Amino acid sequence: MTDTTTHQTQTALPEEMPAERRSRTIILIVLLIAAIFFTYPTIQMLVNSFKSNDGIISNPSGLPDPWTLSSYADGFLGDRGLTRALINSIIISTTSTVIAVALSAMAAYGFAKFQFRGRDLIFAALLTTMMVPPEVLIPGQYLIFARLGLIETLTVQIIPTVTPVLGLFLIRQYMLSLPDEIIEAARIDGASEFMIFRRIILPMAAPVLSAYAILHFLSEWNAYLWPSIVATTPEVKPIMVLLPQLVDQEVGFLPVYGTIMAGCVVATLPMVIVFLIFQDKIMNSITLGAVK
Amino acid sequence: MTQATDIPKPALRAAAAETPAAPRGAWMRKVTPYLFIAPFVISFLLIFVGPALYALGLSFTNYRGFGSFRWVGFYNYVTMLQYDAFWITLRNTAFYWVAHAAPMMGIALGLALLVRSRLARYRRFFKTTIFLPQMIASVTAALVFQNFFGTTSGVLNGFLGMEIPWLTDPDLAPWAVVLILIWRGTGYWFVIFLAGLTSIDLEIEEAAKMDGANGWQRLWRITLPLMKPILLFAFVVDMVVTWRLFAEPNVLLGRAGTLAPIEQAPVLNLVVENIRAGQFGQAAATGWLLFIIIAVLTFVMFKLIGSKTRGSER
Repeated sequence: MTDTTTHQTQTALPEEMPAERRSRTIILIVLLIAAIFFTYPTIQMLVNSFKSNDGIISNPSGLPDPWTLSSYADGFLGDRGLTRALINSIIISTTSTVIAVALSAMAAYGFAKFQFRGRDLIFAALLTTMMVPPEVLIPGQYLIFARLGLIETLTVQIIPTVTPVLGLFLIRQYMLSLPDEIIEAARIDGASEFMIFRRIILPMAAPVLSAYAILHFLSEWNAYLWPSIVATTPEVKPIMVLLPQLVDQEVGFLPVYGTIMAGCVVATLPMVIVFLIFQDKIMNSITLGAVK
Repeated sequence: MTQATDIPKPALRAAAAETPAAPRGAWMRKVTPYLFIAPFVISFLLIFVGPALYALGLSFTNYRGFGSFRWVGFYNYVTMLQYDAFWITLRNTAFYWVAHAAPMMGIALGLALLVRSRLARYRRFFKTTIFLPQMIASVTAALVFQNFFGTTSGVLNGFLGMEIPWLTDPDLAPWAVVLILIWRGTGYWFVIFLAGLTSIDLEIEEAAKMDGANGWQRLWRITLPLMKPILLFAFVVDMVVTWRLFAEPNVLLGRAGTLAPIEQAPVLNLVVENIRAGQFGQAAATGWLLFIIIAVLTFVMFKLIGSKTRGSER
């Protein structure tokens, strides 16, 4: 089957070819196995979301028979509260991302492009706090927010997330590379400091701002521990807290996997689409965060 | 905000050059950077530093959310250290870390080497599929695996035609958590290793090739030693993240959004349980104990890395 191709290329690389072709095939097979392993659960989630809640019990592993949208209807049209939870998640993640990126970008500009007393000390102190796992603060945060009457609100899920030191660090690193001459020129032209920030710095930092915004949005979308403590009522629950709690309304405790999978698909699809569009940007930003 | 753009530029220049404005300008220049960092720094003090210190103070009291604070010294810490559940959750978390870290890093590095190999095809497709689980939330992933490993109507038992209690057998259940950690985590480190491999000087490899080193020799003698700093860094970061494990074991092994049984619970469950029980002092002490554990382990690992790196340089 491969004789002709071997003949054609033999002149270039004499005896390496057969071994190389075998390696090529082995690599392809190994990567295909990996691809199946890493995509299978997502495909199973998608397929099972098209089964009814009864269908998924009688036929957990086959294809849907029949294909139905009844689980989506149960989750999003009935009184399951998934729609409300989805909206809550969108509000929380979006607000948190906008505020976090705005605060980080301003501070990053201050740290990157100005000389002032205490600059390096403050910045080092902020970086050091990354050593403290955020979960350590939870008892303190809980009591403070309780005193403010903010438990069981969307606000309590947003506020603790708006000062990401990682975001500050990534954006500052990027801003350090922006040329000082442009800022100086704008200053000589009489632009106010805030105008320089808004009109010159923000557009130039757009790549890192959008990359960090995606990372931040994802981490807020996935948040589970803090919301599961402070958001237990249907009005304020995010989708990640509600999904594991979806059970048979008559029997109780029995998870309704059709509805759960439908909810999972709706909670995942936007992320996957964003990923497929911006995958290079997302992968690059992850590398930025890790290779310090 | 925009009015300045309407003024002709020469006029602005003239205004800036005027001497009476200079002292004010100098003062503004001094204050400006503080104005830029103030919103972040002040919010951070209120959101992070304040509650952190409050939690530290709480950990030395018996405060229950109402009434008065009573100083109890290290009582909460001592109680926690004498509490069986603390050591069980510590052991569980250590297991989750040890069991998933090595295979995950191995798979991630192996796949990165394969995808970067000259002989690989469809690179972009494989990069995308291997990274895809990173876009799936921990909660979602845990639910999909719960559906997969279910005893009576799980997907796997459906395929096998058996009723193996994957998630309720205490010997099997922790491995399902480990599988989720590997499934979700590999893509992240794969991308990082891929970037690391790309940054390794290709010329060094070319030189080795000229010297007649074969593929394996090049991998063991050149590529891996050069990747060592990144690999060790990966192990440290992954360790810190694993000590903060919460969603995966609880969603997978807990019933309908409740916490996992103590036999499989991670350390953070004790923080959550104590808060729910109103034991804020105890919860805070547990949190700070976790911080101490992470800090000590990180310090030890960096020490090990330091001595190893020096050793290889000699």
